[in-house]
Amino acid sequence: MNHDWKQKINERYEQELRKGEFFWPDSVFRDAIVALGLVILLLLLATFVGVPNEPKADPADTSYLPRPEWYFLFLFKFLALYGQIPLLGRVEWLATVVVPLLAIGLLLFLPFIERGRDRHYTKRAIPLAIMALIVVDMVSLTLMAEIPTVAPEDAPLGWKLAVALQPITGLAIPGVGLVLLLVLPKIHRNATWRTPAWIAGIGSGSMLVLTATILVLYGAFGPPPEKTEEVPVTLAEKILAGQDLYSIHCVECHGDDGKVTVIEGVEGLEGKQISPINSRDVLYTVNDASMVEIIAYGRPDSGMPPLGKQYNPEGLSKSEIDYIVLFMRYMWDDRFQPPAEVLQPLFPPLAAGEVPSYEVHIAPIVKRYCISCHRPGKDNNNYLMTTYEEVLFSGDNADKNVVAGDPNSYLLLTIQGQEILDAEGNVLIGVMPPRGTLKPDAIDALIRWVMNGMPRTAEEAARLTPTPTPTP
Amino acid sequence: MWKRFFDWLDERLGFNGMYKALLDRPEPRGNWWNTLGSASLVLFLLQGITGIFLTMYYTPSPDHAYDSITYIMNDVAFGWLVRGVHHWGATLMVLVVFIHMLRVFVSASFKYPRELTWIIGVGLLLATLGMGFTGYLLPWNQRSYWATVVGTQIAGTAPLVGEFILRALRGGTDLSALTLQRFFAIHIWVLPAVMTALIGAHLYLIIRHGESHWPKQND
Repeated sequence: MNHDWKQKINERYEQELRKGEFFWPDSVFRDAIVALGLVILLLLLATFVGVPNEPKADPADTSYLPRPEWYFLFLFKFLALYGQIPLLGRVEWLATVVVPLLAIGLLLFLPFIERGRDRHYTKRAIPLAIMALIVVDMVSLTLMAEIPTVAPEDAPLGWKLAVALQPITGLAIPGVGLVLLLVLPKIHRNATWRTPAWIAGIGSGSMLVLTATILVLYGAFGPPPEKTEEVPVTLAEKILAGQDLYSIHCVECHGDDGKVTVIEGVEGLEGKQISPINSRDVLYTVNDASMVEIIAYGRPDSGMPPLGKQYNPEGLSKSEIDYIVLFMRYMWDDRFQPPAEVLQPLFPPLAAGEVPSYEVHIAPIVKRYCISCHRPGKDNNNYLMTTYEEVLFSGDNADKNVVAGDPNSYLLLTIQGQEILDAEGNVLIGVMPPRGTLKPDAIDALIRWVMNGMPRTAEEAARLTPTPTPTP
Repeated sequence: MWKRFFDWLDERLGFNGMYKALLDRPEPRGNWWNTLGSASLVLFLLQGITGIFLTMYYTPSPDHAYDSITYIMNDVAFGWLVRGVHHWGATLMVLVVFIHMLRVFVSASFKYPRELTWIIGVGLLLATLGMGFTGYLLPWNQRSYWATVVGTQIAGTAPLVGEFILRALRGGTDLSALTLQRFFAIHIWVLPAVMTALIGAHLYLIIRHGESHWPKQND
């Protein structure tokens, strides 16, 4: 066996060692600086960026758009684009299994694949160019992973273009580049290192430019970014979230304070006797886990419907049920002391002559007392109250419900205990809310709001509020 | 006094020999890219330390995983910091290990006599990705749950053995308590043990062959 070349490499290394340095302290010094920098970076990230909040896993919530960790996104995107290829795209396992295994195999056995002894970049231009194309492709696939691979029929041209450019950027360009690099030694024997460098440079450059184009086009013409729902973090936020959910899903039968013993005014459950869920009997004997189960599975024998998402498509997620239980515990169970933020009034009290706004005052009242019935799928004369527009303009009696400056608006009459009768004298709309009355300050706020033309934002309301003339 | 104490220890432990073998090694003129390997090691150790702290409070069951992490974040002293470092450390480690691999590729350091170092290094890269994949499920939130559903699904598309791989990964047809339990076991026992062994071999080979020099025109 010929060991000459090994001898040569070892001698070459000795030569480098002689004009080199020592591991301690030269290398260790540089290593320590980098390590220290990384630790500081981590502390900063943990302190100032933190870990994003996510709701609890809910296997029943199939509407959740699944996405892998960011470092697998490129593979995810590759699979999506590969699926677009006609014919070949249908053989899924080629992309999910063969390509990754091939890549791992090539990487693992690289020393036996690239067997040349040269190390300088000018003498191994083709392997370097291949790696460059692959890495840049991984980066651009990761960057465009959020963009769907299909655009709707009626999408604007820019959006469609952004979608159409994806397979070109992520598959075609690197594909052509790789083929060129692989056949280069066959077709052009005397190519210098510059030819592969040019191929890699043009390929990478065009991939990056196209990726930027795709991102800009999609940003400009694509759908507006989905609003991410805020996940409650602190105990107070969770309790308040629970209260809002309770006001929608539970209040009809159990009442806003949970003390209802006989259900009134709920179709099918009229006159049903139930235990008051704010009582010690319930709160002391049922632990959190059982309470979660009762809410999720319901109580078929006493008429309570299941509210968990696995039994009720419009139901609650696991996190949401947890919030309701927290709300019940902290507000009704005398062994728990709610945090101070929870006990704030529903809306800031109004000064004399101050005009309330929808966003600050009215929305919290509506959310707490009205939405439970005035949402889709309930018997409410199609009067929905989930948004500002709906409160003003929806429903069968949209022209009479909320009329600026009209004290006979149906909304104002019904909350003040007056039924609306039709021509024959039948009750068209009963008093609102159907059971109990709003607190006087809430009624007052709603009257002032309608009489002053239903301002939406705090600024609009402030403009309507007369500035008190200072008395001399 | 100190001298005698030191000599006594040296006689038993052999400090001087260790110093010569580990630290007092000649090396080629280094550059900043060569720090990425030790940076990966530091991140691995940091992930180990923060991970051990997290296991003191974390419960690997679908009923309690999420709440135990909420507890770590809100109620444990500096729990948010430990979890934050572990969370970002994972991301940073994948990046640093990957760039380390690229550096070795670009400088062709995987060639004779360092072929085995490279192969072990690729094993470490894969193990790091495996750590990321198994660790991602543990918070048991929507994002991690559904990411694992797709991740295991992709593994399940393999011809013939796909069904088996899927069931082996999930511990059944669906993601369940068993999946969480085995991902946890792989995350804190199997992969750390594998990685420790591979890192040991990797370091031994680096000390044996020395750090490679940055290739010059005549290499």
